[in-house]
Amino acid sequence: MGVAAFLHGAGFTGSGERYLSSVVGVEGCADGSVRVLVSSTEFGQGTKTVLSQIAAEALGIPYESVSVAQPDTLEVPNSGPTVASRTVMVVGSLVKSAALGIAQTLISSNLVREGYSPDEFRAACRQHIVKHGPFRCWSRYEAPSGIFWDDEKYRGEAYAAFAWAVYIAEVSVDLTTYSVSVDDFVALQEVGKVLHPVLARGQIIGGIAQGIGFSLYEKVVWQNGRMQNGQMTNYIMPTASDLPPIRVFFEELGNVHGAYGAKGIGELPMDGPAPAIVNAVEDALGVRFDSIPLLPEDIMDALLNPSRQNDATLIGKGR
Amino acid sequence: MTDSREGRATEEILFTVNGEPKKVRAYPMERLLDVLRLEFGLTGAKEGCGEGECGSCSVFIDGVLVNSCLVPALQAAGTSIVTIEGLADGETLHVLQEAFLECGGAQCGICTPGMILASVHLLNGKPDPTLEEIREGLSGNLCRCTGYSQILEAVAEAARRRSTA
Repeated sequence: MGVAAFLHGAGFTGSGERYLSSVVGVEGCADGSVRVLVSSTEFGQGTKTVLSQIAAEALGIPYESVSVAQPDTLEVPNSGPTVASRTVMVVGSLVKSAALGIAQTLISSNLVREGYSPDEFRAACRQHIVKHGPFRCWSRYEAPSGIFWDDEKYRGEAYAAFAWAVYIAEVSVDLTTYSVSVDDFVALQEVGKVLHPVLARGQIIGGIAQGIGFSLYEKVVWQNGRMQNGQMTNYIMPTASDLPPIRVFFEELGNVHGAYGAKGIGELPMDGPAPAIVNAVEDALGVRFDSIPLLPEDIMDALLNPSRQNDATLIGKGR
Repeated sequence: MTDSREGRATEEILFTVNGEPKKVRAYPMERLLDVLRLEFGLTGAKEGCGEGECGSCSVFIDGVLVNSCLVPALQAAGTSIVTIEGLADGETLHVLQEAFLECGGAQCGICTPGMILASVHLLNGKPDPTLEEIREGLSGNLCRCTGYSQILEAVAEAARRRSTA
């Protein structure tokens, strides 16, 4: 059995978010629907779903009334790249404030009152458009006070928030083939408020599966600047049969810097599987390993040629 | 650049695709995957690895699940082919499509058409599979995004719904 306790910064590192200075738009349409204008790109991680949820929640309108524009910069502002576990936390916060801008504009123009119905919202959007033309509100990133990274001295707070996790792997090592199988995997993480439980769990399980491949199977062999094993037959990734049950638990402590308390999720689950699994193999064999992927030949080599191992790497002596 | 296919004869190939008779002129060794995607616009089947390892190009030929990247078009002559586009009944999704949607069984979507057809194939043979049988049945279809769990749950859920329907 092996344990890894770790963290991952949410949002762009260092002064990144200041430099990106992201802008997000929300547009109220004449039919009472709302378009979210962001450059974040959906590739299956659930960006469209979660940003739509945030806009709907902020405006008090049905989820079905919200759409997300194609991320074409003729149409959408630069809300930064779709990277760095930043979309839900940073872009999502801007979606929330731009959506609130739509509501506040309608309220301060006396077109609706607080607690409006979706029908009243639709009528108000239409009136606003008739009077003023296209109805869009924008929100630009403002660095939170007290969070500052000093690029000169390379000191300070590199992230506004961190996601935390503890992963536990249970493995068995076949002493004939030296192959490792992961038999059970438990993942507990604190990623702030979980905005969409099914998608969040999917992000975690998917990341862990990649992490298991990264730990035990996926060896990139380079030669003369080229990958020598760029085929599914010699670069092995996990199949459905290679993975353990992955049991996912969330602790939701929230986050003042993210929309409705969310933090970043995407990268976190890649960090924990390798240390948890390598620790489990060390626990099983009493030999220390310090590189991944940990292939059967590496384990065989360590067990059959203990003299090649530095004394300090033999756990019995090292401790 | 010369077309490497120049001078080689095309063949007229007849088969049924998703219940409709189809005729195509193709080079005999043209991959069925390319004929489906380029000639018929059926872009559900995807090219993942192009060497029969990943299963994202899965289709049925006469009820048998195959990797369409490995099938020469001529070999499919006279057969009945079903692709992911032929699975739903009009606007009504297949029980597996519904279950994949609800359980979060798809992320980027590249593996999904093949994964769903492999699941159909599995449930046709084993209407009430164990979790191990689902893992085994889908192990020829690779997925990089989901880590498979929610796919396995979708298949189990579809099996449950079919047995109580």
